[in-house]
Amino acid sequence: MSKVREVTDKNFVEEVLNSDIPVEVDFWAPWCAPCNVISPIYENLAEEYKDFKFCKVNVDENKQTAMKYRIMSIPMQIFFVNGEKVGEILGAVPEQTIRSKVDEVLNNYPVDELGRFNKILTLWIEHNKKYARKLKEWDEKYENMGDRAVYNSILQTAQEIENSNKKLSRLLNEFLKKV
Amino acid sequence: MKQDDIMVIGAGPAGLSACFYADYYGLNTIIFEEKNLGGEAAEIPFVENYPGCDEKMTGKELTDRMVRQCEEKRGEIHQFEKVMEMDLQGNQKIVKTDKGEYSTKYLIIASGTHPRVLEVPGENQFRGRGVSYCAVCDGAFFKNKRVVVMGGDNRAAEVAVFLSGIASDTKLICHENKLCSENILVKSLGKHNVEVIEGMELEGIKGEVNVKSIVLSDKKTQNTKEIETDGVFFQLEGIPNCQIAKESGVKVNDEGYIIVDEKNRTNIKNVYAAGDVTDCAVKLVSTAVAHGAAAVLDIIEQNNQTS
Repeated sequence: MSKVREVTDKNFVEEVLNSDIPVEVDFWAPWCAPCNVISPIYENLAEEYKDFKFCKVNVDENKQTAMKYRIMSIPMQIFFVNGEKVGEILGAVPEQTIRSKVDEVLNNYPVDELGRFNKILTLWIEHNKKYARKLKEWDEKYENMGDRAVYNSILQTAQEIENSNKKLSRLLNEFLKKV
Repeated sequence: MKQDDIMVIGAGPAGLSACFYADYYGLNTIIFEEKNLGGEAAEIPFVENYPGCDEKMTGKELTDRMVRQCEEKRGEIHQFEKVMEMDLQGNQKIVKTDKGEYSTKYLIIASGTHPRVLEVPGENQFRGRGVSYCAVCDGAFFKNKRVVVMGGDNRAAEVAVFLSGIASDTKLICHENKLCSENILVKSLGKHNVEVIEGMELEGIKGEVNVKSIVLSDKKTQNTKEIETDGVFFQLEGIPNCQIAKESGVKVNDEGYIIVDEKNRTNIKNVYAAGDVTDCAVKLVSTAVAHGAAAVLDIIEQNNQTS
C-alpha cells in the first residue's frame, strides 16, 4: 500500500496543518503528464523518510484547497511545518532536488523536542552575533553620537549582551554534549 | 553490461513506434526515458490530426496506449534513466546512463525537444503564478480568466483553441509577421474567438503575486503596448535534446536538429534519429511514428544483409 496519503478539502487541516511532523503536499491531477513523473519519486521518499509525511491532493476534486494555496501550475509541491508553508517546488524536477528540499526542511525544522530547543537557541545566538558585529562596525565609523555618557552605557550594555551570548553558546554546547 | 538488439533514447511517439515495429519483426528493444512517458505528445490537449483518433482523444490517452503496447511486447522501458554519455564509433554502440552501462548494435535517438524560455523580465518570477509551459496541466486553473499564448506554429494554435474552451478571453501572440500554422487551425482560431496578434515581441510580464499583464513591442514601429491577462502560456518551438548525441559525433544542423536521410540514418553507421529531434521540417505525431518505423525497417534490412 502506498505510504503517500490522499488528502481532501475535508481532512486537509487535520492531516496537513495539524501534523506534528513536516509535511509535503503534491498538488496533482490525472490529466497532467509531468505529474506522473513526480509521483513515483514521492512513493520512494515516503518509504525512506519516517519523520516526514507525504501527501497528495487531486486539484480536480479538491478545488478549495487548490484555490487557498493559489495553485495555478502543476505539479506543485508545497512543504508545511506546524501549519505554515515553508517552501515549494514547481514542476517535474529531478529526485535530487526534492531530496535536498526534504533534507533542508528537516534540518531547519527539527521534529524532536531537543532538536527544536537547539534550533531556537542557535538562531538566537547567531542573531545576537550578527548584530554585535554590526554595532562594532557602526562604532568604528561614527564618532559624534551626542551624549557620550549615555552612548557609553549603551555600548557597555551591548557588550554585556555579547558576553551573555557567548556564555549561552558555551552552555548550549555543554548541554548538547551531555544529553 | 546489458545487451539488446536495439536501444532507443526517448519514449515519445517516435521511440515507442520504433519499439512497436522492432517487436513486430522479432527484435528486443530497451527504451531510456528520463522524464514522462509519451514525451511532449502526452501534453497535446486533443489529437485531432492523427488517423484513428477521434477528436476527443488526448495526447496522454494516445501515448498511454503506445506505452502499453510496448510493455506488453518485447519492449523494456527504463523510465527515469538518463543517458549521460555514448560511444558510437565501434560496431557495438555503448550507452552509459545514470544507472548502468549498455551495449547495442543499433541505436535510435528519439530524444525530442524541450520548451524554449524567452527569459524576459517576469517570466521566471511568475512561473506557477500565471506563467505556464503546459496548457494541458495548467489550463483548468484559468476557468473564466484571460490568457495569452506565445507562439506561432500548429502546436501554439492547438493550445490556443484548447484554452479558448476554458478561459473567458484567449489571445495568440506571434512574434513573426504571420502565423505559420495550417489554414484549418487558423480557421479554428476564428471559430473559437481567439484573437491573433502578429508581429509583436514579448518585452516582459508584470504582476504582483500573480500575473496581471504583459508588455508587447511592435517589431516594425517599436511601439509598446500593455495587455491585461491572468495567464501566459509559452508554446514556442522547442529546443532539440541533442547535446549528448552531438558530443558523440552525430552531425546536427545549425539549429541543433540531428541531420538524417530518408531512412532516418545519421552520419554514423547503425545510429538513427527519429521524431522532433531530427531536421525533418514536419513535426507531427504521425511523422514521428513514421520515423520510428523507417529506422527499424532499415535496421531489419541491415541485419538481413549481415546475417
